[in-house]
Amino acid sequence: MKKKTVHGIVYFLAFLWCAITILPLLITFISSFKNNNEIYLGLFRLPSIWRASNYAHAVETANALTAVGNSLFMAVATTICVTIIGMMASYILSRKNLFFIKPLNIFFMIGVMVPVHCTLVPISNIASSLHAKDHYWFLLLVYTTFNLAQAIFLYTGFMNGIDRGLDEAAIIDGCGDIKLLTKVLMPICKPIIATEAIFVFIYGYSELIFSLTLISSDVKYTVSRAMLNFTGNHTIDLGAQFAFVIMAMIPTIIIYLLFHEKVEAGMLSGAVKG
Amino acid sequence: MKARKKDYIIGICFLLPALALIICFIVYPVIDAAFLSFHSWKGIFGQPKNWVGLDNYTGVLTSKLFWNSMLNSFWFIVGSFLVLMPLSFALALLITSKLKFTRFMKTAFFMPVILGTTTVALMWTYILNPEWGAVAQLLQWLGLDHLVMDWLSKPTINVWCVVLVNEWMYAGYNMLIFAAGLVAIPQDLYEASVIDGCNGWQKIRYITLPLCKNSFKIFSVLAVTGCLKVFDIVWAMTRGGPVNSSSTPAILLYTQAFQYKLFGRSSAYSIILLVFGVVLSLVMNRVFRQENDLYS
Repeated sequence: MKKKTVHGIVYFLAFLWCAITILPLLITFISSFKNNNEIYLGLFRLPSIWRASNYAHAVETANALTAVGNSLFMAVATTICVTIIGMMASYILSRKNLFFIKPLNIFFMIGVMVPVHCTLVPISNIASSLHAKDHYWFLLLVYTTFNLAQAIFLYTGFMNGIDRGLDEAAIIDGCGDIKLLTKVLMPICKPIIATEAIFVFIYGYSELIFSLTLISSDVKYTVSRAMLNFTGNHTIDLGAQFAFVIMAMIPTIIIYLLFHEKVEAGMLSGAVKG
Repeated sequence: MKARKKDYIIGICFLLPALALIICFIVYPVIDAAFLSFHSWKGIFGQPKNWVGLDNYTGVLTSKLFWNSMLNSFWFIVGSFLVLMPLSFALALLITSKLKFTRFMKTAFFMPVILGTTTVALMWTYILNPEWGAVAQLLQWLGLDHLVMDWLSKPTINVWCVVLVNEWMYAGYNMLIFAAGLVAIPQDLYEASVIDGCNGWQKIRYITLPLCKNSFKIFSVLAVTGCLKVFDIVWAMTRGGPVNSSSTPAILLYTQAFQYKLFGRSSAYSIILLVFGVVLSLVMNRVFRQENDLYS
């Protein structure tokens, strides 16, 4: 009998936190179909008519679709760059026995510790002097750099755990360095790559402070920037703002639902290490 | 295996992109910020940068603004240890238990991290709206009208709102860090403890907690070093205001440079932030290493 009550309490708390997690999303979703009067009446009520026009409004006045597209592009490009450059570096750091490997490991470790915000002013200066403000390639390089140190740290740790006998067998079978990395090691590293990739993706998708300083024309705004701009300037039409928030969420939620098993598996195997 | 010439060529080629990026966008900017922090500069190219010595540093370290922002960062640490740690550890126990629906719970609990900081921040700004927000309505419905206020514009309360939203967002993430420690504990330990007569609470106290120490270490390092990096969520919810009451060091760094055009002052913030960040990382590592030595 006592065990049953304990179970009951645990289930209750579990579903309470589920509700706390999901309700905000639900409220935002419902509100994205309301007009202002209905929102003022209360966020919990359902709308009298489901107004899809809010979405059209967000697309027209705030360029919502363009912003989501820009962010998606940045996110995908950053993820690809970090994975490729990071894997290349990690391969050397974990597999080669060269004299500069040890100091380099320490160098990358320090890279993890630096709070990236403190590079803000100098990076904005570099951008101005290269006339690279408002260009995505520069933002892409910055995003890639900020995720590299962490990625290299995780990849190297994972690769060090892979048996070197495998390399030797592959080399005897005639694999060069490039084939060894792409055909043998990359597939084994999939869990860590997937876990890191989704966090890099979210970083690239929603990063704020550098896109705030480096991007100035509104057709190039990324999602975070465009949303803040929209909520700052158009406080009149609340439904459209909710609609924009929902539109901004959709890509990441889709990506998450596609890959969540891999990410959770990666995290559970201890991918994140201080 | 002896390194051959070919290995060196491949090694350098493969490391070069990563090295070049980190040198260009982390090492050089840090040096440049250190240089700028001793100068006064309005951010206009071609204008001279005047040497002012330590003025920027004394200016920052004696300003109320800076210490208030450090206090706000400190609230983030307090929130992490008082709210986030127990919460995410409890969630981790939950999803690794033998209850039903754990798969669904895992996915649901982890969801907020995926949404992106700005989205989460805006969503909660609406929910915390004092006139029509969900929280205000809930309180009215419970008959607690006097608690309803403009939470995001009352000093200290606004910081705590942001801290709690931050915990809401990261609970699922840290849940998985703890869960990674929990699933690594061998099951036979629990079976043995049952034979020895342990009840549920004792199992957690004497087996789970000691064996999860590594997860607590990761959590602490992330929480303490993360507190200096808070920008997005505060900026999106309050823009650091009203009157800088909810600013974090990163927000001051941004506003000093790009709103007030005090680039030297802002660089002093950068360097102070950097020193704090590196020192905190080293201290955390040292603290935990000593503990490991003690117990092993």
